[in-house]
Amino acid sequence: MIPRPFEYERPGSVEEAVSVLAAAGGRDAKLIAGGQSLVPMLSLGLARPDVLVDVSRLELDGIEAVEGRVRVGATTRHRTLELDPDVRSLLPLAAEAARHVGNPRVRNRGTFGGSLAHADPAAELPVVAVAHGGEIVAHGPGGARRIPLGEFFLGYLETALAPDEVLVAAELELLSEGSGVGFHEEAQRADDFALACAAAIVEPDGQARVVVGGVGDRPLRFDGVPGELAAAVESAIEPEEDAFVSAAFRRRLAGVCARRALAHAREDAAA
Amino acid sequence: MSVVRDRPARFVGRALVRHDAVEKVAGRTRYAADFGLPGMLQAALKRADLPHARLLRVDTSAAEAVPGVASILTAKDVPENTVWVDVPGQTFRVGALKARMNVLADGVVRYHGEPIAIVAAETEEAALAAVELIDVDYEELPVVTDPGAALEDGAPSVHEEGNLLASWQLHEGDIDAALDGAHAVVEQSYETQAVDHAYLEPEAGVAWLDSGDVITVRAATQVIEHFRDLARILRVPDNRVRVIAPYVGGGFGGKEDMTVEPFLALVVRRTGRPVKMVWSRSESLLAREKRHPMKLRYRTACDAEGRLVAQDIVIVADGGAYALLSALVLLYATTCSQGPYACPNVRIDARVAYTNHTPASAMRGFGAMQVALGYEGQMDLLAAELGLDPLELRRRNFVERGDTLAVGQTLDTHVALPELADRVEAALGPKPEPSVPERRVGRGVACNLQPYGRCVWLNDWASGWVGFELDGTLVVRIGVPDIGGGQASSLVQLAGEVLGVDPADVVIHIGDSALTPLTGTTTATRQLYMSGNAVLQAAGELREELRPLAAELLETEPDEVEFADGSVRSGVRRVPFRDLIGAAAKREVPWHRLSIFRAPGGDAWRSDASWRGRVFPDFTYGCHAVDLEVDPETGHVEVLRYVAAHDVGRAINPQSVEGQIEGAVVMGLGYALSERVVYEDAVNLTGTFAQYLIPTAVEAPEIEPIVVESGEGLGPFSARGIGEPPVGPVAPAVAGALADALGRRLTVLPFTPECVAEA
Amino acid sequence: MTLELVVNGRRFREPVEPHVTLLRFLRDQADATDVKYGCGEGVCGACTVLLDGVTVNACSVLAVQAEGARVETVAGLGENGWLHPLQQELVERGAVQCGFCTPGVVLGSLEAVRLGLAGDRPTIRRSLAGNLCRCTGYRKIVDAVEAYRDREGPAS
Repeated sequence: MIPRPFEYERPGSVEEAVSVLAAAGGRDAKLIAGGQSLVPMLSLGLARPDVLVDVSRLELDGIEAVEGRVRVGATTRHRTLELDPDVRSLLPLAAEAARHVGNPRVRNRGTFGGSLAHADPAAELPVVAVAHGGEIVAHGPGGARRIPLGEFFLGYLETALAPDEVLVAAELELLSEGSGVGFHEEAQRADDFALACAAAIVEPDGQARVVVGGVGDRPLRFDGVPGELAAAVESAIEPEEDAFVSAAFRRRLAGVCARRALAHAREDAAA
Repeated sequence: MSVVRDRPARFVGRALVRHDAVEKVAGRTRYAADFGLPGMLQAALKRADLPHARLLRVDTSAAEAVPGVASILTAKDVPENTVWVDVPGQTFRVGALKARMNVLADGVVRYHGEPIAIVAAETEEAALAAVELIDVDYEELPVVTDPGAALEDGAPSVHEEGNLLASWQLHEGDIDAALDGAHAVVEQSYETQAVDHAYLEPEAGVAWLDSGDVITVRAATQVIEHFRDLARILRVPDNRVRVIAPYVGGGFGGKEDMTVEPFLALVVRRTGRPVKMVWSRSESLLAREKRHPMKLRYRTACDAEGRLVAQDIVIVADGGAYALLSALVLLYATTCSQGPYACPNVRIDARVAYTNHTPASAMRGFGAMQVALGYEGQMDLLAAELGLDPLELRRRNFVERGDTLAVGQTLDTHVALPELADRVEAALGPKPEPSVPERRVGRGVACNLQPYGRCVWLNDWASGWVGFELDGTLVVRIGVPDIGGGQASSLVQLAGEVLGVDPADVVIHIGDSALTPLTGTTTATRQLYMSGNAVLQAAGELREELRPLAAELLETEPDEVEFADGSVRSGVRRVPFRDLIGAAAKREVPWHRLSIFRAPGGDAWRSDASWRGRVFPDFTYGCHAVDLEVDPETGHVEVLRYVAAHDVGRAINPQSVEGQIEGAVVMGLGYALSERVVYEDAVNLTGTFAQYLIPTAVEAPEIEPIVVESGEGLGPFSARGIGEPPVGPVAPAVAGALADALGRRLTVLPFTPECVAEA
Repeated sequence: MTLELVVNGRRFREPVEPHVTLLRFLRDQADATDVKYGCGEGVCGACTVLLDGVTVNACSVLAVQAEGARVETVAGLGENGWLHPLQQELVERGAVQCGFCTPGVVLGSLEAVRLGLAGDRPTIRRSLAGNLCRCTGYRKIVDAVEAYRDREGPAS
């Protein structure tokens, strides 16, 4: 019911954060930003780190267009993605997906970088990031490193980040003029973890991609012709079965989410 | 019962603001966990990791070495390691017809989460660290996971006496002949699930040793009379234990059996120090008692006009690992299993079995609500069979005043079901069209009956004290625990009504077993009936005691005296209460009154097939309807409209009545669509609010309560109880609406998206 | 570590361990028991507080993360014993039963109205999805928020 004790560091810069992580040695050091995934896990005893390194006050927030990409700072709050009108026009897909992240309290506090680094396969923003494509910008002892989004999510709660690296931003590919986006999620209740979710992008030339979450150990991306993608998703995925939801139902929902996200995207492109 | 002069009520029937609402909205209420004392210890429980196992060894030595640990208690440290629950009718007996379980497991655990040891420490950190270091050697025992299987020969035993916890078979009329000769027979099985109370306030309490060596427990409870159970466990006289119930953050039956109380009391006894225990939400979801899952099999037959001729009912309920109130729940289920429908031939075979699931006990509806899925499903099936409108088929069968249920219960008060059905139909209008062509809309209706007041042979009583201070202000003292349903504020309204005092000026002291007159449990939809009548009596008797003196002071006849506006009045003359009480004090005329209200009793029930008689004082009837839209692809269900009509006799506070209806409907929707406790080999997997899905404001529809006041009820001002009744018709109404939308009936709760989508 | 923050206008300077949540700090060290423990997971909203003007679940924030912050709880609302208009509406419309969810509901609703996220009943409900209530069925809560918005809130 209460977290187990740990050490706590609040570095004043990314470099300092990296040194703290590097100095942890064999001890389990975790980064904390918004804490909306981590603190509940600490309270439930599901995470028992030795050291927490607080990066929430490093000024890593902010969204700006940079050479064909949109750079989203790691400490950008979900709430900003959801409500800020400028963000809405730059990143409509992220804005739509952010609405589905937890509840308003969670969105006020939770961060974009935190969601990506935590890598819950049912999370919405990793799905959006993979749909955009682009790179993660991380800082480690060796300086900055860029990790393509297609190679970033490795498995359940697992990313390509090294234990001594800090995710500082994601640079998402800006979508071409005339493309359309769509997002659809199925959850049992409004703010629940997604049973399945999908982000879809339709390009002006008709090519499309859809990324699904919640039905694998990481976001799964499918590229192709919009009309065939939903079926491709349903046949390719191998969702987990658990005592609460069957694999077959998740598969079905993934197909529905893909279909509906694609439909929104096509409408959006035509508009 | 005192007689109130025939004039329009001043306060009764008005939507007055509840006196506790202001402090609650300002955050000033000190619930059980919002309280502390200097030197207070923190207590935590070591709970069983397995659902059925012998405890070969419980080693607390490493735990005791944790700095800050004050005390660790196991079974051997409990003076009387038995919790007795007074339960008529269970089939095995230990002593005299009482269900029992251990306070702390002694040699064996029978459910996942059963308490094994208590740790008391200076800090929560130390307590939890110590709990983790308690080393238990288990010898796993075979696990029983299905009540039907539990009752078969050769099933592993949960208890030495066997797995049959309680049973009742009765047969009224000639069921086989009736089934043979019937015009139509429908047969169906239904299944209900384990659900959790999921009150927002987890179980919590603080206990300390007060003067006179009185162990005082201030805990979130629905029953302060548990001081007697604690006294028995501690082997001290009853008068050495005191239980205080602060305002409770929701009960719904989950705080009816003891929760933290025995553990707190044991630590106080051992250490002499104050101690606090708050259960985590995980603990509560994992190990707190649940609603009884039930498997129901119904065969229902009618004649050519749709009038019922036979109900053949089989009930198998899962009681979990310990009996608690299971036998009583079975009684409620059996009595109500035919629904509010007349039927001359009824056969009921009802059993509740032990399994290694979490013990099942009281939850809002208490057995009478689970069976509604069965009896209402049957009415829908018969209606379809006969080509009749579902409500019409029901109308042809509603019980009426003077009818008798199969168990022998006569219905002596008005049965408003025809009117309720009319009001619901009038409210509904035409069924809406789907919002998009791919979706389907369905409409369902359901009626129910739910008892209020305790079983009559329990000889229920309630006492309350009403009195004036010397300055003329009015006070009520009564032991009622207030769990959020306005239990206390209704009494304030009643006292104010009788004595002519604005309820906003009345102070009420509640929930203290040492200091307030005992009034019984806040359960069984009994408090308005029992405490309400006790307060009505006390206030009325007090008024009559003061009347002669008032007449004298007003220089008028006694029956010209009016109690109003904080004074006694006659015509233009007025004497404020302050002066009246001042005079009373000088004359030795009492200015306070303690009164006991006794509910009519009855013959003791026996679980043999020949017993017939009155079980309950009375019932509250309801009729609900729901329109919902289904997305067949995803199984998502959106409730478009919900109408709920109940006859409450008299609405003491109409806003409170609406609030009970609205809250119960949403609880029922959770039961129908999303809530369930999921086990795997009797291990409870549902430990978080992310997994246990209660409706949020988004899932809750716009509910339209219809409050009918027939003027006939046993409570004060002819009120009936409303706490439990509205939860019953919800799942059946949803089942009917889904069947209408999908063309196929779902019979296993909850109707999750996965179930609905497959259809 | 020493934590400095302001709770309802009162300055605190207290030793605190890093693993202590803001919820626990507020309840145990700042006597803000109006902030409730309901689930510890960030789902039920009973622990909603304002942290530098923005609602958060106090159970999902470490106290040390609130260093230098301004925390407001429901007890800090209202003035001189008068209820805030939203509190008034909740009380008058029967939206308070057991009251345990109420402090969180008050703060969550105020933010929703302030941000213009309470334009109609479905939107109000969406904004309240993170405040669970087991007693009221939500209807009277939505009534109260709607009435408050019409009375005082910005047009949305």
